[in-house]
This record gives sequence, C-alpha cells and structure tokens, in this order.
Amino acid sequence: MDKTLQTVSLYLLSHMGLIFFLYPTDIIESVNIGHWLPILTGFAIHLAVIAMYMKGMSYFPRMDLVDGLRTAGNAVAIVLLLPVAAYLVMICVITIRAYSEVVTIVFLSSTPLWAIMALLLSISTYVAMLGIEAIFRTALLLFVLFIPLTVFILSYAFQNVDWLYALPVMDTHTATFAFVQERSFLLSLFAFSGGFLFLGFVQPHFRYKSRSILWSSLILLPLFLLSVYLPVLTFGQNTAEKFQFPFIMTVDTISIDWLMFDRISMFFLLSMITFVILFLATVMWKLIRIIRFKWNAKPAVLIPALSVALFVTCMNIPDWKHVSDLLWWNTFFRIYVMVIIPAATIVIGVRYRKRRV
Amino acid sequence: MLRFGKPAIRAAAMLILAALLSGCWDTKDINHRVLPVVMGLSKVDGNYNMFLQIPEPTSDDSKMRIVSDSGETVSDIVDKISMNLESQIDLLHLKVLLIDRKYAEEGINDSITSFIRAQDISPKTMVVICDEPLDRFFDAMSKPDNQESTTLVHFFEKNAGWNPQVAQTRIWQMFRSIHSYTNDTMVPIIRSDDSTVIQSRGSAIIRNGRMVDRITPDDTLMINIFNGHSAQGKIEVMDHANVEIVSNAISHKSRVAGNQTFLECHVRLKVTILETKGEPSVAQVKWELEDLLRKRSEALLAKLQKRKADIVAFGQHFRTKIPRDQLAKWRTDYFPYTDINLQFQVIVQNEGNLKMRKH
Repeated sequence: MDKTLQTVSLYLLSHMGLIFFLYPTDIIESVNIGHWLPILTGFAIHLAVIAMYMKGMSYFPRMDLVDGLRTAGNAVAIVLLLPVAAYLVMICVITIRAYSEVVTIVFLSSTPLWAIMALLLSISTYVAMLGIEAIFRTALLLFVLFIPLTVFILSYAFQNVDWLYALPVMDTHTATFAFVQERSFLLSLFAFSGGFLFLGFVQPHFRYKSRSILWSSLILLPLFLLSVYLPVLTFGQNTAEKFQFPFIMTVDTISIDWLMFDRISMFFLLSMITFVILFLATVMWKLIRIIRFKWNAKPAVLIPALSVALFVTCMNIPDWKHVSDLLWWNTFFRIYVMVIIPAATIVIGVRYRKRRV
Repeated sequence: MLRFGKPAIRAAAMLILAALLSGCWDTKDINHRVLPVVMGLSKVDGNYNMFLQIPEPTSDDSKMRIVSDSGETVSDIVDKISMNLESQIDLLHLKVLLIDRKYAEEGINDSITSFIRAQDISPKTMVVICDEPLDRFFDAMSKPDNQESTTLVHFFEKNAGWNPQVAQTRIWQMFRSIHSYTNDTMVPIIRSDDSTVIQSRGSAIIRNGRMVDRITPDDTLMINIFNGHSAQGKIEVMDHANVEIVSNAISHKSRVAGNQTFLECHVRLKVTILETKGEPSVAQVKWELEDLLRKRSEALLAKLQKRKADIVAFGQHFRTKIPRDQLAKWRTDYFPYTDINLQFQVIVQNEGNLKMRKH
C-alpha cells in the first residue's frame, strides 16, 4: 500500500514539534552573526543522512531496519541496534521531561510535573499500542487540524521584525565554521536527528516514495530558518540569547486587534505539543520493534511497561540542568545514529543484494 | 491491531482520560480570581509600592476597585494583596504597567527583567510613566465619573484611543532596550486631568532601561515619523495651516570614514490640508512644513545625541559597517558624534474639499 502522504505528514510533524523550542536557543547561542550558516549546515547534514538512509533501506524490499541489519547476522544486528535502542530511550526521556518543563514554564505554572508527564505519556502510549496504522492516521488528522493554524501564527509573527537585525550577513568568525565544534551546535542537531529513523521502520507495512520525502524536507528548511530568524529579527541577537525559549517569546509579542484571543502563543504551543505526543508515540513504537527483535513479548504488555519505566525515570530527573546534561550526553548516540546507521544500511544492503543475485 | 477488553472497560478508560482533558490543576473559578488591568509601581527607599486597578463587573455597568500595598519585591506585594483579598490575583490580563517618574529615572531594569521572567505577565503589557504621585493619579481615576475601568487601556490601543503624538511601548521593547546595542525606546508620560481623565505629557527617553530625559508630544510625533508610525498625525505649520500626515516613507544611507559616522536620512511625507489661516499657497505650506520639520528634528536629534539614547534606532544602519564588538559602544562612542543629514520632502496629496492657490 502506498502511503506517501501519511509518511510525509508524519515526517513533517515530528520535526516541527522539535524545531520551535530548543533548536532556536542552541543556534542563537552557537553564533552571534550569520545564523543561516549553522542552520544550513545542519540541514545539509540532515538531507545527506536521510538520503543515505533511504537509499540503504531500498536494498531491503519489504523489510524494516531490524530485519535488514539481521541479514548480516544476528550478532552484527545486535551490536548495531543496541546504541539505537539506547538513543531512542534517551530521546523519550528527554522529550517527555523537557516538554513537560516547557509547559510549566510557559503556561501551566501551578500544575505538578508528574501530571503533565503522565498526560504526555498516556496519550502517546495509547497511540503507540494501536500501531503504525493509527500513528499514520493521526499524523494526517493533526496535519489537517493544526497546520493552517501554525501557518497563520507563523505569518503573523513577522509583525515586530526589524529586518536590519539580519545584518551583517556573515562575519569572519562564523565563516570559519568554528561553530561546528561548539556544544550548542552539536546540541542543535537534536532537531535534525530525532525524527528520521522511522523512515526505515514502516516498509513491512507500507510503501512510500523516498523522492517525495526528500522534496518535502524542503518545507522544513524555511521552518528551521524562521524558528531562529524570527526571534533574532524581533529582539536582536543580544536580547534573544537571554531567553530560554526565544521563539515562544516572539509569538508572545504578537498582538492582533481583531482576534478575541489575547495570547495566541497558547494555540501555537498546544499544536506543537500534539506533534510532540505523536513523535513520542512513533519513538515508542520503534523502540518496541527493536526490543521484540530478541524478546518476543506482546506489545500490549511491553508498551505499558515501557511507559511506566519512562515515567519513573523522568520523575527522577530533578531539574532543567540535568535535562540539558542528558541532552549533551545523548550527542554521542545522536552522531552514531546519523553516521553509522545510514552507512551500515548501505554496506549491508549492497552485500545482501550481491548475495541474492 | 490491538483490542482492549470489553466495550464497558474501554468506555470507562475514555471517561478517565476525559478528566485529564481540562488540564486544570488547583483550579480556581473565574469568580474567585481578580484580573487587574493596570499595575502602578513606584519605589521609595528600596521599597516598592504597588497599586492594582481591578475591574469589577456588576450587572449594569463595570466598576473598578483600587488596591495597594508595599513590599520588597513585586511578587511579594502581589502575594500580600492576594492574601488580603477574598480571591486570587491573576496578572494574566494585565494591560498597562504604570511607573512612577522618580522610579523610572532611577532605572527599572530589575522590574522589567522580572516581568519578562514571570510566566503570567504578558510581554505585550504597555509601559507608561506617571508624571504625578501614583496615589494622586489613582485617586483621580477612582472618582465616580471616571469609573470606566478600561480608560487607561483604551488610551494606548491602536484600535481605540491611541494617536501618533503618543508613544506606544511594551514590556518586551523595554527589555530589548536594556540589552540591544542599538535600539532604545521611548515611553509615554501621562497624568490625570479634570476634563479628559488622562492627559498626555509627551514621552520619556529611555536609555538602557532608565529615563534620561523627556520630550514633548510634538517631538514624539517626530520620532514616530522616523519609526514609520505617523499616519494620521497632525502638524500645525507656522500660523498658516494645519496638515494631516497620510503616509510616510523613510530611507537611510550610512557611511563610515575612520571613526566618524555619517547618516543621510531622507523622509518623504504625504499630507492633506485640514485647516488654513489666511490664504497660503500650496507651495508655501509645503516649503514651510519642510522647514519646520527639519528644524524640529534637528533640535530633537541633538537632544538625543546629548543623552546618548538612540530611540530612532539609527545604529541599526551601521550594523554592517561597524564590527560587532565596536557596535556595543554605539551609544557612547559613535551615536553622539554621528553627522546626521536630514532631508524632508513633503507631498501635498490633496487640499480637501476646497481649492487652493498653487503658487
């Protein structure tokens, strides 16, 4: 069954959920001038990674990543997949913890964290239990419901921009690519590496056109640019770097006279949170697929158990500092997932094809 | 696909989830909250005095109540007032932050920073400076015939009572002025008045979050022209005519030679004629207006340069020409010595319903 449309929506939504919170903070921290260069660098890496990954997966018709890697032997597959599993677990923990913190910082200041985390987790657990078909359907539904709203808010966010803040376009420091080894730049790859793995997990269920995914990734590029440039153009670099979530602050400065709602940032945030819930569901579903590779338990048991474990882990993270530390430790796995996994699929894929021929 | 239990169990699970949908915690109903629209803030000997103006909707009209208290920090006072009131204070709908002039002259960085940090106060809240002691202002506001609780809010709203002789500044712009290298701001000054409730007294020049000088309403209009917010502004030209600005466009050309900065600023105004005295010609009005604007803005810019406050954001035009570490000193090292060349071009778009002499 061809489900290109659904795959594209899931791909776009899971990235959109990740772009607008931590990503602008990291990029604004990584350089003072010429933010477009780190953004384009990250994006080029992202494009290269998904192109390689999808190429690699095309060698395994109707097989997902787990089965594909298994063609090179169980031991190889386990060694390659263990860090991926660790990475996915960490992503779950970080996302749940960070986003519940975002929700308390931005609007639900008196709601305890556990309640927000329970909400995020319970919905995504439920969706993950229903499987990939449900995730795909939800993606399409959320896309139709929330994208018009998001586009509306994004276009209104230009209200207070001062274009001169975009100047100068480049300086010698940024041009040397010195930012590549900055901690904040490496952290910003979070937004690029989080959502693409699912592209290698859906093949046994559906087909999709990888060319469409590559084209649709071009929709993400302006979003990456906007998420950084809107705060910079509104506040200026020096002020924007003071904010915990510069983009949310920018949306907060929008005032629309004719709209009866005062704080449209709330609408924006809630749409993003639904995208994040969907993203979490996808990650949990992938994780379960990897776990069931060796240990064949029922998803109906495994997923609730996993979500309870995640909940307990998240409860044990005391503060924001630990979240950002965790995000930093995750960098190793992130680079692994972005470099080794696509490379491995290609190498193993080519060998697999030769053997079959 | 998975199936869970019996339909009854499924229905029960869905109902439990529905309880989560409200997202409320420790919820207080709207009738147990008070939502102040104006906050007045002054500082005496390190202690803050706060006034809150709270609308109280009644069946036929809206009344308001003013409460005040003092304390060491802003949140401390809000807590205190909240404790003494029968309901909880919620600053979510605060619209105007009224600051005592003396406190503004001392510098309000700390308050602005904590308002930005606070989750419940909107960064869109207007900042206004009060030219008389706050208690007197709020006394005047609470007179029986001034009981319309949203007067102060409407005064500054672009779709209500705002006009281009009044500055319009929000908390986030103040915050930007504190941290930006090249962007200062101005804040409207008001006081109470017998006939119109509120009287506009020009604007304060804010530099890095501190009031350093004040300018008249006419000068405020000039600044709004420079910032492109002048439509419908009215200018009296000598004693010959009164014109209304229809639109304006402004272009800048910046140049750096050595340490000297030059800025050429070309302003094009389209006006219509509202009133004339005697029989001036169109050309005469145009010429006089250009002359008047040039003189007025030269005096104004000289004042800004003296105070080292770049509220017209001229520094923005040097972003590519001065390196960033030098731009940090824009206000002190460059702006006061910038050679500014102003050119005004007035276009009389029409003369109203009556014909006028061309020359």
